[in-house]
Amino acid sequence: MHLTKLSEAFLRSAAYERRFLAKNHWDFSMVVWIPLATVLLIWWIFSQTQITDLPIGVIDQDNSAVANTAVRYLEASPTLTVRQLYYSQADAEAAILQRDIYAVVIIPEDFSRNILSSQPAPLTLQVNAQYGTHSGIIQAGVQAVASTLSAGVETKRLIKQGVAPSQAMTAYAPISVQRISLFNAATNYQQFLASTVIPALLHILAMVIGATTIGRELRDKSIGRWYRFIDTGKPHLTLSRASKTTPSLSTKQDSSDKKASLNAKMPHSVSLSILVFGLLGKYFWPILAYSLWSALILWLATSNQNINIMSLMAVYAGFLCLIVLSFWLGAIFTLNSFSLRMGLSTTGFISAPSYAFAGVTFPYIAISDSAQYWSNALPLTHYLKLHIAQLQMQAPIAISLPIVYGLMLAVIIALVLAALLTKRALAHPERWGAR
Amino acid sequence: MSAQSNNIHSKANLTDTPASQSFWTSFIQTFKDVFGDKGVLLMLIIAPIIYGFFYPWPYSSEVVNHVPVGIIDHDNSNLSRTLVRYASASPYLNTERFINEQAAKEAIWSDQIAGYMVIPAGLEEQVQSGEQAHVSVLGNGGYFILNKNVQLGFSQAVGTVSAGIKVKKSIAKGAYASTAAQNTQAVPLRIMPLYNQTEGYGAYVVPAVSVIILQQTLLMATAMLIGTWYEQRRHSTSVRGWLGRIGALSSLSFIVGCFYYGWAFELHHYPRGQNMLGTLLFLALFCPTVATLGCVLGLWFRQRERSMQILIFISLPIFFLSGYPWPADQLPQVLQVLRWLVPTTPAINTSVQLNQMGASVSQVAIGFYALAALWLFYFMLLMLIRWYHADKQSKIVA
Repeated sequence: MHLTKLSEAFLRSAAYERRFLAKNHWDFSMVVWIPLATVLLIWWIFSQTQITDLPIGVIDQDNSAVANTAVRYLEASPTLTVRQLYYSQADAEAAILQRDIYAVVIIPEDFSRNILSSQPAPLTLQVNAQYGTHSGIIQAGVQAVASTLSAGVETKRLIKQGVAPSQAMTAYAPISVQRISLFNAATNYQQFLASTVIPALLHILAMVIGATTIGRELRDKSIGRWYRFIDTGKPHLTLSRASKTTPSLSTKQDSSDKKASLNAKMPHSVSLSILVFGLLGKYFWPILAYSLWSALILWLATSNQNINIMSLMAVYAGFLCLIVLSFWLGAIFTLNSFSLRMGLSTTGFISAPSYAFAGVTFPYIAISDSAQYWSNALPLTHYLKLHIAQLQMQAPIAISLPIVYGLMLAVIIALVLAALLTKRALAHPERWGAR
Repeated sequence: MSAQSNNIHSKANLTDTPASQSFWTSFIQTFKDVFGDKGVLLMLIIAPIIYGFFYPWPYSSEVVNHVPVGIIDHDNSNLSRTLVRYASASPYLNTERFINEQAAKEAIWSDQIAGYMVIPAGLEEQVQSGEQAHVSVLGNGGYFILNKNVQLGFSQAVGTVSAGIKVKKSIAKGAYASTAAQNTQAVPLRIMPLYNQTEGYGAYVVPAVSVIILQQTLLMATAMLIGTWYEQRRHSTSVRGWLGRIGALSSLSFIVGCFYYGWAFELHHYPRGQNMLGTLLFLALFCPTVATLGCVLGLWFRQRERSMQILIFISLPIFFLSGYPWPADQLPQVLQVLRWLVPTTPAINTSVQLNQMGASVSQVAIGFYALAALWLFYFMLLMLIRWYHADKQSKIVA
C-alpha cells in the first residue's frame, strides 16, 4: 500500500469530519464545550477541599463544668459545629430526620459525678450512619474530642495522685501511636475525588463520541459514502454537502436515496489499512480536543505539588491511551450491533458505573471476587491505579509502566478490531439505517 | 433490528396525521409506542431492572475488613511480639511482616498493602523505664476508607497493649485490679450508628444512586421517545395530550420504582421501607417531574439517539451536587443554588429520609415542595416550547 494513499485517507477523513462538526453543534459540543465544562465543574464542586463544620446537636443532661468543656471542645473541632442544644431525645431525633443535624452527642446526667469518682464517664454519639461521608467524619471528630477529654481528666487525676506532670502523660499512655497518612496527608477531597472522577467522566464522554462518530454514518446509511470518499476522494465534499445538510432521517428521502445510490453505496473492495487510517482521521478532532482536556486535568491535579516530570509523562500517556481506547470501544460496541442506539446503550451500561467498580471510593480489595473480574476488565480501573500511584503516592515509574504498556497494547488491538468491524459493516448495507 | 426500523418508517409514513389530543387517547397511544419501541422499552424498564442487580454488585461485601497491612519490627522484644499478635488478631487487618520501610513502601506502591506499622528499636526498654514510647502507623492517604481501617486497626491493637501495661503498673502501685481496668479510658465514646446500623457501604450508596438510576433511565427513555416523535412530526399535541403522555411514562416508571423500593433493596438487605406510604407519595411526585423534564429535553434534542448522547455522563456530576455524598453547604455558593434545577437534588434526600430513615412526610415537606415546583417549572417550559412550535407552524401555513 502506498503511504501517500494512506495519508490521503487520513486527511480526507479528517476533513470530512471537520465539515460535519462545524455544522452540528450538539456533536461539536460533545467534543469541546461539554468536556471542558465537566472538568471545570467537578473541580469547582470540590474547591473547598476539606469537609468542615458538619452540624451536630448536643443533649446536655449534666450541666456541669466538665460537660461545658466537652461542648466547647466539640464546638472547637474543625470538622464539627454544634448547631443546637436539645433538651429531649425526641427533639434531637426529629432534627436528625429533618437533616438539620447529622448526629447528637448525649452527655449523661452522671457524667461529672463519674469523672470525680474516677469512674469511666461515657459519652454517647448517635450518628446518622445512612449519610456515610458525614457519619465517618463526625465519628472521627467526636472520637478525637473524647480522647482529648480523657487525656485531660487522667493526667489531672495522676497529678493529684502525686505523679510529676512531666511523667503523667507517659503514665496515661505508655505506648502512643504516631498516626501518619502517607500521601494526601491533608485528606484533600479535590485530590482524592475530583482528580479521579474527572478521568472517569472523560472516559464516559469519549466512549459516547466513539459510538456516535461511526454510529451516525451507520444510522444515516452514509458509511459507504464515507469509505468511498476517503478511498477515492469522490464525491467531492462540496457535492456531498447538499445531501448532508438536510437530515437524511425522513423516509421520503430514504426511498429516493435507495434508487439513486444502491449501486454506489457499496464499495467494491475494502482495504483494512485505509480503514485504519480513515478511522484515525475520523476521530482526529476528538483525539486532539481530549488530549487538551486531559492535559488540563493533569495540570489542575498537579499544580500545587511537585511531581516528577517523567511520572507526569507516564500518566499523560496512560490518560491518552484511555481516551483513545474509549473512542475505539464506543465504535466497537456500535459496529458490533449495527445500531447507534444499541451502541450508546451498551456504552452507557459499561462506562457510567465504571467509577464504582474502579476501587477508588470503595477499595478494590473489598470488592467481591466476581465483581473484581468485571473491575479488571474495565480500562478505567487500570488507568486510575496508574493515576493514584504516580500522582498521589509518587511511586517510582517502573511500578506503573506495565499499565501504560498494557493500555497501549489495548489501543492497538481495539483499533484493529474497530477497523475489522467497519469492514464487516461495509459489507452489509442491508443492515444500515437501524434505529 | 431491521424490523424495528421498518416499524418506525411505516409510522413515519403517517407524518401528517395529528397526534391524539385527549388525555386518555394520548395516554394509551404512549403506552403502545413504548411497548412497540425496543429502544424506549430497554431504557425505561429493562435497564433499571438490570442496574438494580448490577450496581450493588461491587459492594456486596458491604464492610471493609482484613485490609492487608505490613509490620516492621525493629525491636524484636516480648512487647513488640505482643503488639504484632494483637494487630494480627484485629478484624480490620491482615498483617504481613516486612524487613524494612523501603520494602513496605514498595508494597504500598504496587497496592499489595494499604499501610504499615513501625515498631522502633528499644521500645520495650523505654516502656520499662517509664519513658514515653512511640510506634508509628503509616496509612495510604490515597485511599480514604483503607487509610481509616489501617489507623483504626493498629490504634486499637496498640491501645489494648498500652492499657494492659498501665493496668499492670497501677496494680504494682497497689490499686485494685478492677478499678485499674476501669481506668483505661476516662471518657469512653459509645457510638450508635442510626438507620444504616451495620454501616455498610452499599447500604449507604445504593439507595441514593437508585434515585439517579430511576431519573436517568426515565429521562433518556422519555427524551428518546419524544425525539423519535419529533423526527416523525408526531410530537405536537394539546395540553391534555401532553399530560396523558407524562401520565403514561410516569406510571411505567412508578412501577419500576416500586421494584426498587419493594424488592431490590430487600434483596440486598439494605435498610428500607421505614415510611412506605411516604415513599409511594414521593414516587408519585418524582416520576411525573422527571418525565416532564424528559419531554422538554426531547423537544430540545429533536432526535432519537441524542438523549443518550448528551445524558449518559451527567449521573456522576448530579450525584455530587445532590448533597448526599458531599455536604451541600461545602459547595460553591452559585452551585448551591443551581443544583436545585435537577430533580435528584431534592429527590435523593427525600427518598432516603422517607424510606431508609423513616421520616414523616411533614419532615421532608421541603423536598416535596421543591419537586412540585420543579414539575411546574418544567411543565411551563414544555408549554412555552409547544406554543413556540405552534406559532412557527401557523406562520408556515400562513
